[in-house]
Amino acid sequence: MAGKTIVVTSGKGGVGKTTTVANIGTALAKKKYNVVMIDADIGLRNLDVVMGLENRIVYNLVDIIEGKCRKQQAMIRDRKLSNLFIIPAAQTREKNAVNPEQMKALCTELAEEFDYVIIDCPAGIEQGFRNAIAGAAAAVVVTTPEVSAIRDADRVIGLLEANLLTDIHLIVNRLNHRMVKKGDMMSTSDIISLLAVPLLGVVPESEEVVISTNRGTPLVLERGSKAGVAFQKIAARLNGEKIPLDDGDAESFLIRMKRYIWS
Amino acid sequence: MLKAIRRFFGEKASGQVARQRMQVVLMHDRLDLTPDILQALKNDIMVVLSRYMEIDDQSIKVDFEQGKNYTALVSNVHIKRVYRRSAPAENT
Repeated sequence: MAGKTIVVTSGKGGVGKTTTVANIGTALAKKKYNVVMIDADIGLRNLDVVMGLENRIVYNLVDIIEGKCRKQQAMIRDRKLSNLFIIPAAQTREKNAVNPEQMKALCTELAEEFDYVIIDCPAGIEQGFRNAIAGAAAAVVVTTPEVSAIRDADRVIGLLEANLLTDIHLIVNRLNHRMVKKGDMMSTSDIISLLAVPLLGVVPESEEVVISTNRGTPLVLERGSKAGVAFQKIAARLNGEKIPLDDGDAESFLIRMKRYIWS
Repeated sequence: MLKAIRRFFGEKASGQVARQRMQVVLMHDRLDLTPDILQALKNDIMVVLSRYMEIDDQSIKVDFEQGKNYTALVSNVHIKRVYRRSAPAENT
């Protein structure tokens, strides 16, 4: 049976695409699925450092496509999970080193071997974006509760639909509950009503994300991290599990108590 | 505290301001109306209206309004005079 190909995209840069890919991929691999993540950001590769695999790169995506190596030679196995792989982007090439047909062919091949093929899309809506979405059957759009990110997400959703990619879900990243409560940040429901795309999950703003990327270990591997739990739930929903959308907007009782006492 | 006072005097929370701004911005983005197309739309509205009434052709305004479940096109035109005949022939 063919696996699922999913592109993670956003339009705007810096909203957390790569972090999302790393965490969703790792969470699905933890569930024993065979997962490969493709860094489609040619020229600005980052998935390798976020996963802590930067020292192991020999071949890359462009090498596979140009036939300079076999697929297996460019796939780097994760340090902890033996069923998780990344295909790094080329760092010294340009976006047009690859075309959408080649990406589509590669994704189709990979989907025969893997349960999940997750594509990390570059920012922007040019060639790199067209390459990244070419081989995907579903899309996850990442946004933050800021006007610029939301506007770009809306544009990207329009472009995905124009490319007949209609299986689209939204992740709201870096939501700050305290600010939402004060009325100084758009809430998840505000964002959903603006973008009109079903929600996959909400990731709270958290210092843990910075710390985990510093270490090159995805958050979902660490215990007791709220953002990590949010990513785990997102991965489970992506996997078709029915998990209610309670995270993100609701705070835990303990945190509310703490705030009540301190304020 | 200052914020609370401002709110009291009717200043909206910035989250609400952002949402309302985005409603308008996204609508414009999605409609993709260039100034040329908008002008053509205004001209066409005026042509149709002038068949029924005399209008001030400098006064036409076209705006978009976002309701909760709808987007409305609102056009304001000053009427100078309404013709007695309900529908005059096409090329008079």
